[in-house]
Amino acid sequence: MKRYKTLLLGAAALVVAGCKDNPVANPIDAPTVDALNGTLSPAALQLLATGVLGQDRNAANVFAYAIEAGIFARDVYRIDASEPRFVQETLGGNPDPGSFAGGGAWANYYTAFRAETNLLKALSNASNQFTPEEISATRGFIQTIKALDYWRVIEYRDTVGMAIQSDDPATVTDIKCKETILAYIAAVLDSANADLAAAGNSTVLPFTLPSGFTAFGRNYSVVSNIIKFNRGLKGKVDFYRGLDRKAYTASMFPTAIAELTQALGGAAPGAVPAADFQKGPYYVFVPGGSENTPNTISDSKIGLNPLVGDSVQAGDTRASKIVPRVTLSGFGLSTSITYSGAVASTANQARPLGILRDEELVLLRAQAYIEAGQLANALLDINSVRTNYGLAPLAPFVDKQSAINALLYEKRYSLLFEGPQRLDDLREYGRLNSTYLRKETSTDPYNAALPLPRAELNARGVTVNPACTP
Amino acid sequence: MKTVRSSVLALLFLAFASASAFAQTRTVTGRVTVEGSSEPLVAASVNVVGTSMGTYTDDQGRFTVSVPAGPATLRVRRIGYVQKTVAVPSGDTQVDIGLARDVLQLETQVITGTATTVSSTNAANAVTVVTGEKLNRVPAQTIDYALQGKIPGAVVTQNSGAPGGGVQVQLRGISTINSSFLPLYVIDGVIVDNSQIANGLNAITEAAGGNFPSTQDQRVNRTADINPNDIESIQVLKGPSASSIYGSRGTNGVIVITTKQGLAGRNTLDLTQRFGTSRIANKIGMRCFGSGQEYADWTGDTSAVAIAADIALYNSATTKCHDYEQELYGEHPFNYQTIGSMRGQTPGGTNYFVSGLVQHDGGLQLNDNYNKQSLRVNLGQKIGGRLNLRANTEIIHSLTERGVSGNDNTGINPYTTFSQTPSFIDLRKQPDGTYPQGLAVVNFNNPFQNTELIKTPEDVFRLLGSGNATYNLIAQDRQTLDFSLSGGVDAYNDHAKIISPANAYIEQVNANPGTIVLGNGTIFNGTLGANFTHRLIRDAFTATTSAGLGQVRRNVDIIDNTGRGVFPGVTNVASATQIFTTESQDIVKSQSIFAQEEFLTLAERLLVTAGVNGERTSNNGDPKKYYAYPKFSASYRVPGFFKIDEAKLRLAYGRAGNQPTSGKFTFLTNIIDEGVTGYRSSTALGASGVKPETASELEGGLDLTLFGGRATFSATQFRKQIDNLLLTASLAPSTGFSTQTINGGQIVNHGTELELNMTPIQTDRFSWISGTTYASSKGKVTRLPVPGFIPVSGSFGSRFGNAFVAQGQLISVIQAVNGCTALNAAGTACPSANRVLTFVGNSLPDYTMGFTNELQAGPFRLASLVDWKKGGLGVNLTNDYFYGSGLAKDTALAARQLSNFAKGIDVWLENTGFVKLRELTLSYDLPAAFSRQIFHGRAQTARLELSGRNLATWTKYTGLDPEVSNFGNQSLGRFQDVTPYPPMKSFFFSVNATF
Repeated sequence: MKRYKTLLLGAAALVVAGCKDNPVANPIDAPTVDALNGTLSPAALQLLATGVLGQDRNAANVFAYAIEAGIFARDVYRIDASEPRFVQETLGGNPDPGSFAGGGAWANYYTAFRAETNLLKALSNASNQFTPEEISATRGFIQTIKALDYWRVIEYRDTVGMAIQSDDPATVTDIKCKETILAYIAAVLDSANADLAAAGNSTVLPFTLPSGFTAFGRNYSVVSNIIKFNRGLKGKVDFYRGLDRKAYTASMFPTAIAELTQALGGAAPGAVPAADFQKGPYYVFVPGGSENTPNTISDSKIGLNPLVGDSVQAGDTRASKIVPRVTLSGFGLSTSITYSGAVASTANQARPLGILRDEELVLLRAQAYIEAGQLANALLDINSVRTNYGLAPLAPFVDKQSAINALLYEKRYSLLFEGPQRLDDLREYGRLNSTYLRKETSTDPYNAALPLPRAELNARGVTVNPACTP
Repeated sequence: MKTVRSSVLALLFLAFASASAFAQTRTVTGRVTVEGSSEPLVAASVNVVGTSMGTYTDDQGRFTVSVPAGPATLRVRRIGYVQKTVAVPSGDTQVDIGLARDVLQLETQVITGTATTVSSTNAANAVTVVTGEKLNRVPAQTIDYALQGKIPGAVVTQNSGAPGGGVQVQLRGISTINSSFLPLYVIDGVIVDNSQIANGLNAITEAAGGNFPSTQDQRVNRTADINPNDIESIQVLKGPSASSIYGSRGTNGVIVITTKQGLAGRNTLDLTQRFGTSRIANKIGMRCFGSGQEYADWTGDTSAVAIAADIALYNSATTKCHDYEQELYGEHPFNYQTIGSMRGQTPGGTNYFVSGLVQHDGGLQLNDNYNKQSLRVNLGQKIGGRLNLRANTEIIHSLTERGVSGNDNTGINPYTTFSQTPSFIDLRKQPDGTYPQGLAVVNFNNPFQNTELIKTPEDVFRLLGSGNATYNLIAQDRQTLDFSLSGGVDAYNDHAKIISPANAYIEQVNANPGTIVLGNGTIFNGTLGANFTHRLIRDAFTATTSAGLGQVRRNVDIIDNTGRGVFPGVTNVASATQIFTTESQDIVKSQSIFAQEEFLTLAERLLVTAGVNGERTSNNGDPKKYYAYPKFSASYRVPGFFKIDEAKLRLAYGRAGNQPTSGKFTFLTNIIDEGVTGYRSSTALGASGVKPETASELEGGLDLTLFGGRATFSATQFRKQIDNLLLTASLAPSTGFSTQTINGGQIVNHGTELELNMTPIQTDRFSWISGTTYASSKGKVTRLPVPGFIPVSGSFGSRFGNAFVAQGQLISVIQAVNGCTALNAAGTACPSANRVLTFVGNSLPDYTMGFTNELQAGPFRLASLVDWKKGGLGVNLTNDYFYGSGLAKDTALAARQLSNFAKGIDVWLENTGFVKLRELTLSYDLPAAFSRQIFHGRAQTARLELSGRNLATWTKYTGLDPEVSNFGNQSLGRFQDVTPYPPMKSFFFSVNATF
């Protein structure tokens, strides 16, 4: 009996001792933000920078980037039984803020802004393993990416506006109007440019960039190339600030021309070699594995608007981007062509996407020349693109409209299915209406932008887009 | 914390201080039999009232007990029989007692703590006890199915008709939004895991998109593994007023299961063999085309060539109208269950209960089945008169193949395919062994081919074990002090492997045909406890004091590997072209300390209980802080008057909690860019102060025993208030975060439960026992510190109906677009800006009633259970599939509904009320002489039984089953019907013999 008694008491003591056991169970699935406090080491910088770029890439790999903008611009169709989302809320009606079609291009980018802010904050506490030039270079590069992300959101929201994220996660800022946002983006790009200047042209970033930023003809690890990217983006932003259909500002165009020229390495009009057209930063996609980010445009339910095939000029080698497909029809739309990169295949799932290629910069410069009244210079840039694709050079333009028409043709086929570029142009040139474009469905509203997402409206306690503050 | 500890010590000291002992005793012997016969009652407990002395009757029904000198009273008790108190005057040494059967279950032992019980005659809570016999009257695949209709106040919903489980029990309404919503299951003192592990069906249905498992995988609760035949009784603690002993796991109620133990007396062997079959219980029907022209009109073709081709296609069909549901779901599987158990006591004094089960249930589709094998060994041993040891172990293996059902975005679900395929097209296997391709609109899917090619096995190996050692430190007449140590383990591995081979037509549209999903979940739950129980017996009162400590630990690790692009015939996921991996891990540690006092006085008429349970857990924002869960209750038995034998008034208050499962930290989520890992802040902002939800319940009631024990009536009212609701506050996405967990908000549930049991007829040869239960409850969101939101549960948008949480609304409210301020010019459609979003109704029923009846005529017995659910709305999305394609059976109705839907009316909301005949059993006890002859003189009793489950449903609901839910495994939003597996009705024939 005594034996059992002692055993029991011993066991009881164990249980009581167990009570002293620390009840804390550390989170074992992932690290927390507390890990960011403290000195920033090179390894941590690599992790954070990859986080920023990965987030930026994934945010562009969704419906609400190349595909939805392509549909709004009437170049792309997506037809699928899961309606309403691909036809009825794009070409047949307005996208609902709470739906798949209406809520995109927002939350992902704001998460990216938070990641960029966290990184920039951590940079101010960088270890002495970095040189001051490297820190400036990093700051300049990350701010350029931040500006790019802001551009992406305002590109899709247009006159609805967007909020400039506060450093404090608890603060919800006002929705600012487009002009204010574009001015903000311009300021961020200039501040980045100042940092890049302080870093010096030959400084290399102290972390590894994904191959999209190094393997496509230009190594953006080097500050001199980052400056080109920065100036190219600034030129694009300044051009659209000028072209703003609500606040046309002619003084922006010469600035834009200067910046775009700097981005093109100082090339004179028409002097950008064709070999440079494909150069630029890209997104590289990785289907399968634990990464699993296939290029979303590789999709058997995607096709091109038949007008894209009909409007190609004879001899244009860019027609190779248009390939036949099994007829895709439904909901009043039908097509038998698709984009070569949209055919569902493993190769296309890994197809890279250009962010801001030199070809786009050349055509943007042409646009800026047109608006600045320099039609001859515009012709040189446009012809340098045309002739590269087997087309005869154009005769000098008689007026601004014919120049714009020619430019829009080149831009459409050079940048086919590469993003919202055509949507931006159709919108700002006032061509997103039935005068220039046919109705795709009987209830076609010519959507130009997305509303604020339902979650944003709910958090602000409103049911419709609030008026933006200038 | 400190005050709790010191008050416990004070109580113990008091108890010790008042010990005393008796000197003189005498011996009393006697015999206990069944009243009115000479059948001995084995293992009846005989206690001397006013002391702790007592004994059990042997296998002749005889007992010998020491009583103090002077007049004494004996209380004789046995489960299933009404207890009796018998006076034994000073000189008597012999007494015989007869006990009457307790047909209305007037007495059971009610669990009030980890080591304390109280007689149900005194219990201060609404007690629901389901005996093993009542539970298993009609064979059910899993425990949850068997509980349907037996617990007043419980809404038991079934997610689909697929075999093997997938049933949730919800007690007294919805008590949470984001935290655990299922009751806690405890078996023999061990907390048992009731998770639902997704098998990865989402990878082939794309219900939620992506490559990983989702909540729409038709998951099964793991309580499905338990063998219902091992259960002695189930006691349901319906709310916090009873479940505060389980602290922050008790909000949703607790289902306490006790398994059978060995009995003193003869060793018995019980064998049961069941055979049965199932068939489809309901179909929705397909459209039949009368002519080729009708078909051509349906296609909408305009060219003469196309129309001619359509007519030719129709004419070439051998059967003009296939009943697809009958063809695919028309299996009549052969189901069987073999159950054996042995019970008794060895000469060495070890009592044992050993049982085994082999079960096979087929499904309605070819190759669907549910198999279960289990072995249980329960041992008990008394050592040296003071030490009582008990060890219970169960090993279970189950293998389930449930096929493909539920929501999908690929066309793979049979009903999705049927809704797009004109019914003259033959999809069955051809004589040459091949299958015709399905239509392009459903990605060429052929569900018949899928039943042959796609495999969805889920294999579970589980070990449940518990041990208990109780030592009587003090075992005096008027005072006992027990110390008990208990521990237990629930560990299992859930291994699922979905194989969808590349030669299936549905796979061939994928970029990488051939999918394998390999899921491995390893779950471990460990419970450890130590407690003291002190009983002080005085003339005026009996005081039971208990105090103790407990620890619970839970480890979860679930890994999923999805492989796409697999060569046909290969089942190795590593050979796939693309492989995706995900893992989720969790460790939870909790500690608790409790103390409780039960004070029984006034001639055992008044019972007052007070207790407190302090608990801390690693899930809380501050894991070191103890949260208190107190309870107070009182019950008073009023002596009888008129026809009322006894009336008991009871009032109970208790608090329980619901642990936060996440939300403390802002994590860094990893993101891979070209193979390089990066981190960025997650979109869920952490809340370092997150704490458990608290549910306080006040319950009051009345229990009456009437007409000499021929009827009982009980009425209960409860009000349950849940505060500090864990809410996911939506943040403005422009902050970079989309959610944050906060504590705030309040839900108040109140309801009524009524129960009437009676034996209108009770003679030697014929008896009729009838039971009726009624339960209704309503829960309202009385406070919400965030704007109204759609909970993170599934739905298909407000045009169909979604759950919504808003202040002032019912927690179970459905929000939907159901009105239009102004139609378009043609009057045919409602522009999206004019749609009216309203709260359209309640997804939970107005009330539920259950009717059980048992008729016994000699050796024949007929028992039935009818369930009535009144009211409640659901969303029938299956209809949307059929109406939208024009292939619904009633084309005129479909056209009307679609036109109304376009005008902004929600035509998918339907009343899901029903009356179901859940169980019907006819049994025949073979005459003793016959059974002895058949079984060579060995059998004691033998019985034949014919039973059926889910035999008939009467409902206005137009879908397959008013009870199903595509998103069944969630707290809110369990009212969506999307192309489920059809319900089935089952029939069984059983032979049972005891030796």
